[in-house]
Formats: sequence, C-alpha cells, structure tokens
Amino acid sequence: MSINLLENATMAVKTLNANRLRSGLTMLGIIIGNASVIAMVAAGQAAQGYVTRQFESLGTNILFITPGDAQRGPGAGASRADTLTLADAEAIAAEVLAVSAVSPEKTERLRVTRGAAETQSNVIGTTPDYLTVRQITLAQGRFLNPVDSQANGPVAVLGSEVAKTLFGSQVPLNQSIRVKNLRFEVIGVVAPRGSSFGQNQDEAVYIPIGVMANQVTGQEVGKTSPSVQTIAVSARDETQASAAQYQMTNLLRLRHGLFQDDNDFTVQSQQDLLTTAASITDMLVLVLGFTAGISLLVGGIGIMNIMLVSVTERTQEIGLRKAIGAKGRDISAQFTIEAIVLAVIGGAIGTGLGIASIVVMTLTTPLIAGVSLGAIAISFSVSGAIGLVFGIVPARRAAQLDPIVALRS
Amino acid sequence: MALIELDQVSKTYGSGELTVYALRPVNLTIAAGDYCAIIGPSGSGKSTAMAIIGCLDRPTGGRYRLDGRLVNQMAADDLAEVRNRTIGFVFQQFYLLPQLTALENVMLPMVYANQPPDKRRSRAMQALEKVGLGNRLYNRPSQLSGGQQQRVAIARAIVNRPKLLLADEPTGALDSQTSQSIMAIFADLNREGMTLVMVTHDSDVAKMCNRTITFRDGQIVADSRAPASLAC
Repeated sequence: MSINLLENATMAVKTLNANRLRSGLTMLGIIIGNASVIAMVAAGQAAQGYVTRQFESLGTNILFITPGDAQRGPGAGASRADTLTLADAEAIAAEVLAVSAVSPEKTERLRVTRGAAETQSNVIGTTPDYLTVRQITLAQGRFLNPVDSQANGPVAVLGSEVAKTLFGSQVPLNQSIRVKNLRFEVIGVVAPRGSSFGQNQDEAVYIPIGVMANQVTGQEVGKTSPSVQTIAVSARDETQASAAQYQMTNLLRLRHGLFQDDNDFTVQSQQDLLTTAASITDMLVLVLGFTAGISLLVGGIGIMNIMLVSVTERTQEIGLRKAIGAKGRDISAQFTIEAIVLAVIGGAIGTGLGIASIVVMTLTTPLIAGVSLGAIAISFSVSGAIGLVFGIVPARRAAQLDPIVALRS
Repeated sequence: MALIELDQVSKTYGSGELTVYALRPVNLTIAAGDYCAIIGPSGSGKSTAMAIIGCLDRPTGGRYRLDGRLVNQMAADDLAEVRNRTIGFVFQQFYLLPQLTALENVMLPMVYANQPPDKRRSRAMQALEKVGLGNRLYNRPSQLSGGQQQRVAIARAIVNRPKLLLADEPTGALDSQTSQSIMAIFADLNREGMTLVMVTHDSDVAKMCNRTITFRDGQIVADSRAPASLAC
C-alpha cells in the first residue's frame, strides 16, 4: 500500500507553493527550455513553409535547365557555364512532345534610363512563352509576342517597380526607355509579383531574346547560337514532368555530343528543387530543435540541483514522515512528483511563452509560423520526463535516509 | 499483557576492540496500559532505547517483541507500517510541516495508512477536538503557540489510534504551565487505555507517571513503580 498520485501531487503543489521564489527560479530553466523548443521548431517549420511556398509559386509542372552539372557543382562538366544555347531551347520546343512551352532566359543586370530617370534592373531576354511558363499577368498592354520575336524589334515589357521608378504616375505604354543606349518601346507592364528567393521580380525588363543576344550583350565569339542562363520549360501537365525531364536530357546529350561524358547541363523539376530545399530546411529544424533541447536539458539539471538541496534541507521532514509511517517509496514518490510538478508547470508556462513568441513572429516577419501540437506534446512530455529522470537521484537519496538519523540531524 | 518486551536487546557501533555500546543488553517489559517515564543523563542510552522501542532504529542484538510481533528483524517498510499502525510519536521539536494546516498535519499518518479522505478528515477533527484545538483546524503551525503546536503533534500521534504513544521530551520546549496542560492530555489518554512511554529529564514530569525507569551507561539502573494512588 502506497499513497496515491493525486494526493502526492497536491502535497507537492503545497510544498512548492510554500517556497515560491525558489520554485519559480527552478522552473525558469524549464520555462526557457520549453519556450525555445517550441519557438525554434516553429521558426524552423515556418522557414520550411516559406521556402516550400516559394517553390510552389513557380508552378508544379515547371522544369529548369541550367548549364553545368548540379551534382558536381556549378559549371562542372564544362569549362564554362555557357553550354546551353538558344538553339537548344528551340530544339526542345520542336522535338520534345511532353513539353508545352519553352522559355529560354538570358539575363543581365543593367542600367535602364528614361531621360534623367534611371534604375538598375534585371534585363531578361526571353520569348513569348515566358508568360505561360513563369505564370505572369500583365497590368497594362501586352507581353512579347511571336511577331516581336521574329522581328527582333526594340520592344520592352516593364516590371511594375521599373515602370514606377521611370514613369511615376504616367502611362508608360508607347513611351521609350533606354538600355545600353538602345531605345526600346514599352509595350506592356507586368502586374506586381513580389520577390522570389530574395530577388525582386518587379525590378525586371523583358525584351526579345534575339535583341538581348545580338545588341545588348553582343555576339559571343565562336558561338553559332547565343548562350542562355536558364531554359524554363512547362510540361504538358504534372504527369508529363518526368517524361519531359527524360526526353530533354536525351535530346540535350545528343545535341551536345555527350556519349561517355557526364551531362554539361542540369534538368531540375520543381519537385527536385523542393526535395533539395526540404533536406536543407529539415536540417535547419533539427539544428534549431537540438539547440533548444540543450537548454531544456540544462533546465532539468537545474531541477535536480534544487531537489538535492531540498532533500538536504528537509531531512527532518523526511525523518518525521518516516516516523509516522511513510515507506521508502512514499518518500521517493513525493520527491519525484515534486520534480515532475515543477517540470510540468514550468513546461506549461514555457509552452505559453513559446506560443506567444510564435504569434509575435507571425505578426512581424513574413514567416507564417504555426503552433505545432507535435512540438508542444514533445516538449511537454520531455519536460515531464526530465522531472522524472532528474528527480530520481534526489528522491532515492531521500528514501534511503534512516528515520532516526534523519530526525536527529 | 505485555505490550513491549525487550529481551537482551543491545545496540553497538563499530566492531572488535572499537565496539561502543550505546545500549548494553537490556531486558525490559512494559505492560499494556502502563504510563512509564524513562529518565537518565544524556549518553545514558535512554534515547537509543526509545528509538528501538519506537522502531525507528534496529537493535544490534537481542529480540524485541511489540504487541506480540517480533519486530527486531523486520524490513524497513514493514517497520514503517508498524510505526504507522501501532505507535504514535510526540517529539520535543513538534516536527509539524509548516506548509500544511493543523488539520492536514494531523491527517498525515492516515494518508500513509491509506485511509479514505472523508474518514481521515473526521478522525483528524476528532483528534484535534480531543486536544482542545477544535477551533484551530485551519491554522498553520506558524500561527500557533508552542503549546498549541505540541497539541497538534499529539493529535497527529493519536489519530491512527495506536496502542503505544512515545514521547521524547514532550515538554522540553514548553513553559511549566503549558507543560501541565500537555501532561494532562497524556494522563487522559492513559486513562482511556493507551500505553505511554516518555523520555524526560524533568523529574516533575517523571513523577506524574506510574513507573520510572532510569538509564545510566547503557543500562537500566533503577525501575521504580509509584503507588497507583499517586499517579496523576
């Protein structure tokens, strides 16, 4: 026969309440540990969600072809990272059936002017397919069309911020801007898109890729077709994405004359990018959680420390309890439960603080942090377990005290 | 009938030539319903005898029978149960738990006896009534005088209705008037049939008992019985 748990817990609360300052300070470690586990895990998951959303905003059936072999680092597989050409993009559009739109992109950061107004902007040479592949919408006018591509006319579509900087409240349509002393006629303005991966997509000027290659960046020596940095491709639908990936790889290997050699380009689907990002952000969550876990552990050691002091201080109480009939296990249960109660109350307060910090994070940063029930459950049970584990040593010490020795101490 | 039977009970520390006798082999029988004082100078072995009688300590040698049960070889947890059921303790320093009310302090032995809460409450209240503290149930020890605290301790000692009440210098921390009232409670309890054994060095207190056992150098050197008419 041993006294029951509820009774012990009530007794523990009374005892801890009688020594509020000490109990509070003891709990502080657990409070901070618990709050940081919950907040850190939430921050990590929010970052994960943020990155995932960024990739998903690209569209689910998008594929990217970039020069060099990503498996072996950028630029590997070729001496220079200019192995992709406009002709490759044209070949893909013509020959790969699983693909519905192909948008080669040749980008350079350049000064764009209109009279006295000027701005630095990403000038992107591309084709009309960019509109569908990159899922952009226009605020005014139109995007590049096949006629523009064919004619290589000096026309430009402006990102919303470039339009605002250069034209203010005026309507930019049919006006002209200058890039590298070439005059372009504005035919459209893209609706605001926000930033993606830290790059402001509204700071862009879109011009026909032919104009970009021939007049803006200039002809490249020894190239029959201008090089491009990226070929973005839309698969016909999600199910065709891997077929497109396979077919494009084969086509490009053939075109680049690779038989034994490794690829000098990389085809990545949105899924590949997501997986890569997830493996990085998973690690981030793990590192954050681990760091916070250490503070939880330190909090637990704090509990053990104070409980050991408490056993020493309360030797007479232990002696008295034993004299009136408490068994060893009653005493050890009492001290263990005190430690658990400390840890669990500390855990509850820490959880509250953690949730509060998540709310603050969500309100003040672009991260959307969720309160993870899993993290709460884990840190709660971990703090309970910490109370149990770190309560055991002091509790055993208390239980083994000899009643007469304890009473006369 | 004998409640306490010590048969060649001894307590030693150390071994071989370094053996120190806290208690030389002692024979002592105390009958149920007796009211005994144990007196003697400090270091005489009276406290050791008290601890052994109270099952707080185990003898090194000899046999100890309490209420017919051989207790000198019992395991620690069994002794805890014996203390809980058969013995009530009153100490010089009261040993009340400061965070608990008078009522909760008195209920404590019944908590360890696993009694149902409503029974604990009613019996603890009865015990406090009996020591004259029916109106102080919810006071904490710090809100009570020394005499009141000792009365709470007595209520705690008798709440499980033990056969034996052991008091270790129960009036040592009290003034003479308060001591009188505590002794009156003890006399009442003894009249109701409870066996009392009290360690004291106050000869006035010892005179109120009907038997005085004197210890010196770990041995019983005198055992005198006061005339029954003089008791109390």
